[in-house]
Amino acid sequence: MNIIEVTNLSHRFSDGTIGIEGITLSIQEGEFVVIAGRNGSGKTTFLRHLNGLLLPDTGAVRLGGVSVSRDIPRARQMVGMVFQDADSQIVGETVFDDVAFGPENLCLNECEVKRRVIKSLEVVDLIDIADQRPHLLSGGEKRRLAVAGILAMEPRILVFDEPFSDLDYPGVRQLLHQTLLLHKAGHTILIATHDLEKVIAHADRLLIISDGKVVMDNAPEMIIKDVEAFGVREPCASRLGMEIESWLN
Amino acid sequence: MAELTAFHFRPGTSLLHTLDVRFKILSFVLISISSFKAYPSALSVLTLVIFYAILISCLPFKSILKELRYFFVLLVFIFIVRAMFTSASPVVDFKESAVAWQGIYDGALICWRLLIVVLFGLIFVSTTRPSDIRTAVEWFLMPFPFIPGKRVATMMSLIMRFVPLILDQARETIDAQRSRGVENRKNPVYRLIKLIIPLMIRTFKKADKLAVAMEARCYSEKRTNKALLSAKSDWITLFGVICLSILLSIIDT
Repeated sequence: MNIIEVTNLSHRFSDGTIGIEGITLSIQEGEFVVIAGRNGSGKTTFLRHLNGLLLPDTGAVRLGGVSVSRDIPRARQMVGMVFQDADSQIVGETVFDDVAFGPENLCLNECEVKRRVIKSLEVVDLIDIADQRPHLLSGGEKRRLAVAGILAMEPRILVFDEPFSDLDYPGVRQLLHQTLLLHKAGHTILIATHDLEKVIAHADRLLIISDGKVVMDNAPEMIIKDVEAFGVREPCASRLGMEIESWLN
Repeated sequence: MAELTAFHFRPGTSLLHTLDVRFKILSFVLISISSFKAYPSALSVLTLVIFYAILISCLPFKSILKELRYFFVLLVFIFIVRAMFTSASPVVDFKESAVAWQGIYDGALICWRLLIVVLFGLIFVSTTRPSDIRTAVEWFLMPFPFIPGKRVATMMSLIMRFVPLILDQARETIDAQRSRGVENRKNPVYRLIKLIIPLMIRTFKKADKLAVAMEARCYSEKRTNKALLSAKSDWITLFGVICLSILLSIIDT
């Protein structure tokens, strides 16, 4: 079943530059999709249409059959987005308060807010530092807190924008491990990155965006050899003719 | 630099941690007003109360003193200014300046009062969840229909969250400029402008990103409100603080 349906999606910014143009695609529930492209190719612009942070000039995005622009709060609850800069995403004065921010916005009762916060913090393994101040967390912990913040809204689709930037090796592994667990639990995962190396071994599908258009869309092994033409580095193992291994191995 | 913001919540289970935040705010206001009019005898009583409060709330006294070290520098500065510029018969003459006993007494008194208010504020913040303070601010602003209580409370909590980040950014900008030799420029105005402009730009950009992230998490002013419940211990504490305030005003008359 298609959970995301994008039809002829175009967006032009106020200064006239084209963000994305004529994107048509669908994503099935439970799919793990990696979206790659050079900086400024339109990845983030595309992702921001999925939860109504940007609205299309032409075309439409449908989530579970309902247009995003028709019911934006539903879209934002359904699509949880983890931004590139985790620091700017964290709004609470403590880890607990930050995770509670989303459920409180959904006007849930206090018991339900607490239940969701505890559950989300357990998933990302931050329950022991629930009273910690967010600015004292490490980069990896901040990213996991951002994930917990969106998990507490119980979204079906998780969108990560450059999730591995600024993370050290253990941080990347931890976040990758948790992302895979969430995928296994049934979430649809979309990851935008220009660095395929860390995540491509787990993807069902690879989309390459260039100049605002989807130029390639296929299983990773089918197109991985051709990605460098669009400013994305081919993973090292693939260049050497070897099988791409997970960073978790 | 962010670690130096002493005013933050420290989890615990003491009586002060469990009191209703509204009663804590009222008590804090009453004690602050009393201390601004207090003289040494009343200030001594308040100092003992502070020690008792720190003791029962299990706050780390040494680390609090360490985190307040820049505030102590400010107090020393206030003391010196007050001591030197109070007009009375001087006891020490140094070039153009003179220090009088009255000035020393006034300076010490002002510093003591300020220290007491700051320490009470620190005990209040250390034993109260920021989300509770936000809820209490909303509650206190409810009777004023022309003040958007929810918006004020959200802005307040965002300031508390972002002050350490802005301090971190300031440190980063200062370090980056020092590594490019800004210390060779002796004009402090030039250095200040070179620090403030990039810092403001980064802060505004962060504010933009924050607004988008809040929107993505369905932020609106219609959201779950935390329930505030008062217990017998809250009323007893408030009664105690009122009695203390009356006692302090009697001591000094």
